[in-house]
Amino acid sequence: MNNIILAWRNLWRNRRRTLITSASVFFAVLFALFMRSLQLGSYDHMYKNVIESYTGYIQVQQKDFWEDKIVDNSFPYDLQLDQKILEDENVVATIPRFESFALASNGPQTKGVLVMGVDPEKEKNLSKVRDRMVKYRLTPEAIDRIKQDPGIPAKVKELTELFENSAYTNASRLQLDLGITDKDAPDIMPAVERHSHFENGAIQLGEPGVWVGDKLSEYLQLGIGDTIVLISQGYHASTAAGKYEIKGIVKLPLPDIDNKIVYLPLDICQGLFNAENNLTSLALAVNDNEDKAILETMNRIKSLLSPELRLMEWREMNEVMVSQMDADNKSGMIMIGILYLVIAFGVFGTVLMLTAERKREFGVLVAIGMQKKKLASIMTIEMLLIGFLGIISGSLIASAIILYGVDHPLVFKGEFAKMFEEYGMEPMMAFTGIDTYFIWQVVIVAMMVFLAIGYPVRKIFGMKVVNALKA
Amino acid sequence: MKTKIAIILFLHISGIIIPALGQELSPKEIIRKANERFNGEKTSISLMAMTIVRPTWERTLEFKNWNSGSDLALTLITAPARDNGQTFLKRENEMWNWNPTISRLIKLPPSMMSQGWMGSDYTNDDILKESSVVNDYTHEMMGEEEFGGRLCYKIKMVAKEDAAVIWGHQVRWIDKKDFIFMKSELYDEDGYLVRTEIGKEIKMMDGRLIPTILELIPAEEENQKTIIEIREIQFNVPIQENFFSQQNMKRIR
Repeated sequence: MNNIILAWRNLWRNRRRTLITSASVFFAVLFALFMRSLQLGSYDHMYKNVIESYTGYIQVQQKDFWEDKIVDNSFPYDLQLDQKILEDENVVATIPRFESFALASNGPQTKGVLVMGVDPEKEKNLSKVRDRMVKYRLTPEAIDRIKQDPGIPAKVKELTELFENSAYTNASRLQLDLGITDKDAPDIMPAVERHSHFENGAIQLGEPGVWVGDKLSEYLQLGIGDTIVLISQGYHASTAAGKYEIKGIVKLPLPDIDNKIVYLPLDICQGLFNAENNLTSLALAVNDNEDKAILETMNRIKSLLSPELRLMEWREMNEVMVSQMDADNKSGMIMIGILYLVIAFGVFGTVLMLTAERKREFGVLVAIGMQKKKLASIMTIEMLLIGFLGIISGSLIASAIILYGVDHPLVFKGEFAKMFEEYGMEPMMAFTGIDTYFIWQVVIVAMMVFLAIGYPVRKIFGMKVVNALKA
Repeated sequence: MKTKIAIILFLHISGIIIPALGQELSPKEIIRKANERFNGEKTSISLMAMTIVRPTWERTLEFKNWNSGSDLALTLITAPARDNGQTFLKRENEMWNWNPTISRLIKLPPSMMSQGWMGSDYTNDDILKESSVVNDYTHEMMGEEEFGGRLCYKIKMVAKEDAAVIWGHQVRWIDKKDFIFMKSELYDEDGYLVRTEIGKEIKMMDGRLIPTILELIPAEEENQKTIIEIREIQFNVPIQENFFSQQNMKRIR
């Protein structure tokens, strides 16, 4: 106990030195946690985007479909099986889909597209494609209307030109792009929203009509009410060709899919491909999406399936993305490793100086009869206290930032956002909440402090009192 | 008497009388004769059915064909109902497709040339790029063999080096008596068998003896083949060249 009191007093004897040393630990913890949270959060966000707007966590497929995505590898939609799957405790809903590729054309413009036959009602449980409908668009006419509105500031009017023809699925993004602060929003936004409002129609089972991705509609130069022509090969080598009215435009957060997606009502899509009542996949919406729960659910459902069918997990279905994220994760770890190395030397440097500074003091203490062992343990406690001070303050501040960040992801706008989109990413970075990675960063920094302690302790035991007194 | 000899000599040289005299024909001559029997007429109108056989399913298409020489062809799909009205036009090396459900005329792009026509084992290239079995190959007699109950010449044809053909070599079985292609084996340039074509049900159709069923069996795929059946055929019906037009593709029923 005495040792601790002595150590504590020693700390505050030279306040500046203590603060500098613990500050280096503090920054190590803060940066490591901040970076990690941002990185992991962004991965989570991307996974979520893909899973929730496209694949779902689990899918039932015909056994050969994944290797060879042709409509011949579809399977009949068995309502009894559907019912049995729905009885599983973790399954919230089943989402039947029929997807294939087709050539879409409008006059001279042609493009290979991904055709998704969906049940718009059931899709609510997973991809929420209705929430992705374009609600506002800065068409040239809309910009004209905004410019003529006296209630809108000149700066906003100027910005509209930069975002000409941009589509928005929600008002907050529109507000962000136009540089309208939250304070001004209630005055300006209603007018802007009114001017840029974009009207979409619904698609529903039994009614021919399509929704197309925003980027695709741009490429094919199609708008609401126009006709899109789809040509493909249907079930068992039949011809699949049809023309449909565009009822709505969606904007998906995945630019790679946004530029090629066409949504059709499920039954219309099955008709197009001459595969009545067949599905290419049955996606499952789950309650608990933790890895363990997914695995258990898959095991339970597997027993219900005929050997013609198989289950796929989101990781298998998004292999490319998973390995991409993995590579990015590794490079992130290397970055943090370098950060640690720099900081470790910083901490070690301060300790080195501290030991040199106090060499004479140590010599005097030993000369007047203090045991080297006791001196070393006081020194150790001092260092630990400095370390904990840094770690605790660092993680407290980091937690505060991260907890705020979880609800307020970094959203980029303007040119920077465009750059993100060109790389096929949504222009935002999300934080992940406090999780196991937190403990790891703290443990690593603590180990650095422990290593640094070794130096003064060795110095004390190897000290020649006479030399030390002369220092 | 002199004129008689002169005529016989002339026929001899032109090679027409040779089989009649029972002399040995050159392999090239055999191929030429068989080819003429197959593609020899100026024009034809036919009704055909094509069955695509796959390991788990089968599908039959019916269509009507107008042909003029080897450069012009118009095909109208008549069944199943779903595909009824679709037409294909071949003019030399180009193929067009008219689809009434979407009212679109499509020129088949080069990227689709290696794909099967209407999902069959016949590629679009097979239809468009008929090379000359006479001029693009060197021919070699391999002997005689019985096939389908008929005694056949077995002839190996090796593609000439500068010829624009997709096959490395072919082996063909040709009926000795009637000069009918009974069976063909098509090999790629590495000598692997790609596909076998078999002629069956030899019948007299509009005055010509032809195989009315043609089976096309790809070598690499198991339990997979395409069967073409000629149900009706008329030869040398006068067809104007302007019949093979894009306008007519949309009109014809």
